[in-house]
Amino acid sequence: MDNSICQVYEDEIQLLEEEIKLLTEKYEDSQQESTFFSDEEILMSINSLQKEFQGESKGNESPSDLKARLGSLETDLSFLMKFTGIQFRSHSKKTVEKTGSRTVQKHRLSGNCHSLSFQLEFQLLEMQNKESVSAVITDLSILMEPGEDSDVSKFVSSTEEHGNLLTFFRSLSSYAEWYEHRRCTFLHFK
Amino acid sequence: GVFAHLELLEVRAYEAAVKQEEMEQQEEKLARLKARVQELRLQRDELRAKVEQQQKGQLGKEGAVLNPAQPSARAVLEWKMKSLKAMLQIFYLTGISGKLTKRGVCFCISTAYEGTYLDSYHLDLLTKPEVQIYRHSVPIFIPLRQIAKKYLQTDIRRFLSVLSDHLNAYVGRRYQADQLQEHFSGQIEGTLQRNSLCNLLVFNYNVSSESKTFPFKVRLLYGDPCCSLPTEVVISCTPDAPASLAETAAAHSDLFRRVALHKAFRSFSSAGECVD
Repeated sequence: MDNSICQVYEDEIQLLEEEIKLLTEKYEDSQQESTFFSDEEILMSINSLQKEFQGESKGNESPSDLKARLGSLETDLSFLMKFTGIQFRSHSKKTVEKTGSRTVQKHRLSGNCHSLSFQLEFQLLEMQNKESVSAVITDLSILMEPGEDSDVSKFVSSTEEHGNLLTFFRSLSSYAEWYEHRRCTFLHFK
Repeated sequence: GVFAHLELLEVRAYEAAVKQEEMEQQEEKLARLKARVQELRLQRDELRAKVEQQQKGQLGKEGAVLNPAQPSARAVLEWKMKSLKAMLQIFYLTGISGKLTKRGVCFCISTAYEGTYLDSYHLDLLTKPEVQIYRHSVPIFIPLRQIAKKYLQTDIRRFLSVLSDHLNAYVGRRYQADQLQEHFSGQIEGTLQRNSLCNLLVFNYNVSSESKTFPFKVRLLYGDPCCSLPTEVVISCTPDAPASLAETAAAHSDLFRRVALHKAFRSFSSAGECVD
C-alpha cells in the first residue's frame, strides 16, 4: 500500500522535473529570440565585465576566457562566410513548438552571395530519436534580388516546392559566380 | 524450557524492532517525497507565471510588466554566444560548415534529400606544409582519393563541392531505396538488392492485369555517381505475361528514368494502376 503511494509521488516528481526543464528552456529560448544587442553593446559588456572582475572568481568563467570563446566563434563564422561566399546579414528564429522529442522553429534569414541577395523563411522540425537528431525543412519561402531572371524564378519555385534548402545554397554560390561573371562581361561591352 | 521461551521472546522482539524501523524508514521516505513534490510544484508554478509574463510582454498585452532589470554584462555576452552558435548551425543547413583548428580546418559536409537532412561527413584538413586530409568519415566507396588528387591542392572549394555532389547523390539514392522498402514493401516481391554505393538496384514488383498478378523484374543502374536518377533501366516480365504489359513495362521504365523511385511508386498507386 505504502509502495504504491511512493510510486505515485515518484511519478509526479518525474513529470514535474520534465515540465520544469521544458518551461526553463521555453523561457530561455524566448528571451534569446526576442532580444538583440548591437556590436557596441557587446563591446561595452566585455569592458564592464573586465572592470568588475578584477581577480574574483566566484566559479564563473573569467572575462578573458569568455572573450576568447566569443572570438573563436566569430573567427569560425567569418571564415565560413569568406570561404563559401555566403554572407549572412541577419538571422532570427522563434521556437514555435517544443516537446520532449520534437522542436519546431521558424527561421528568417537574409544575406547575399556576390551580387545576389536573398531573403528566406522556413520552418525547421527537429526530432530526437534513439541515436540522432533528424532535421526537416518545411514552408520554405525564398525571395531573391534580382528576381526578374526567369531561370532564377524557375529555380526558386522548384526549390521552394520541395523544401530544397540545401540545393538552394549549393547552387547559389556557383550561380552567383556565373551571374557576376556575366554582369562584368556586359559592363565591359557597354 | 525457560531458555527456549526466552529465545523465542528475543526473536519476536528483534522482529518487532526490525518492523518498527522499516515502518519509520517508509514514513521518512514518504515525507521526503511529499516535500520534494511540493518544492517542485512551487518551482513549476513560478516558471509558468514567468513564461506567461514573458508572453504578455512580447505581445504587448495589458498587464505585462515591462522588464525593468538591465541584463548583466555576462548575460549580454551569453546572448551573443548563443547567437553566434545559432548562426554556425545555419551554415550546417547550407551544406558546408566547419571550424578552424590549430593546424587547419575541420569541414562538415551535410547531405539532404529535398527537405530532409541526412548524414553528415567530416574532413579534418591540415593546411601546412600543403593541404592534406588528416582524418575523415567519408565512406570507402566514395572516390575521395581521386577527387582530392584532382582538386585539393588547387581549389579547396571545388574539391568540397565535387565531394558534396558525390555524397549527396549517394545519400539521395540510398534514401529512395529506403523509402521504397519502407512504404511500398507490399508491392515488392522478395528482397531489394543493392550495393553499398546504391548505384545498382535489382528487385521484383507485382503488376496486375485482368485480375492476375505478374512480377516485373527491374534492374536500375545509376551510371553517374553525382546523379540520383538511373541512367539505365531494364524491366523484364515473365514469358506468360500478356502483351499489354509490355506497354506498361515501357511506361514504367521511362518513369524510373525521370522520377525518384519512391515517387514513381506513389504515382502508380494514385493513377489507379493495379500495382499490388
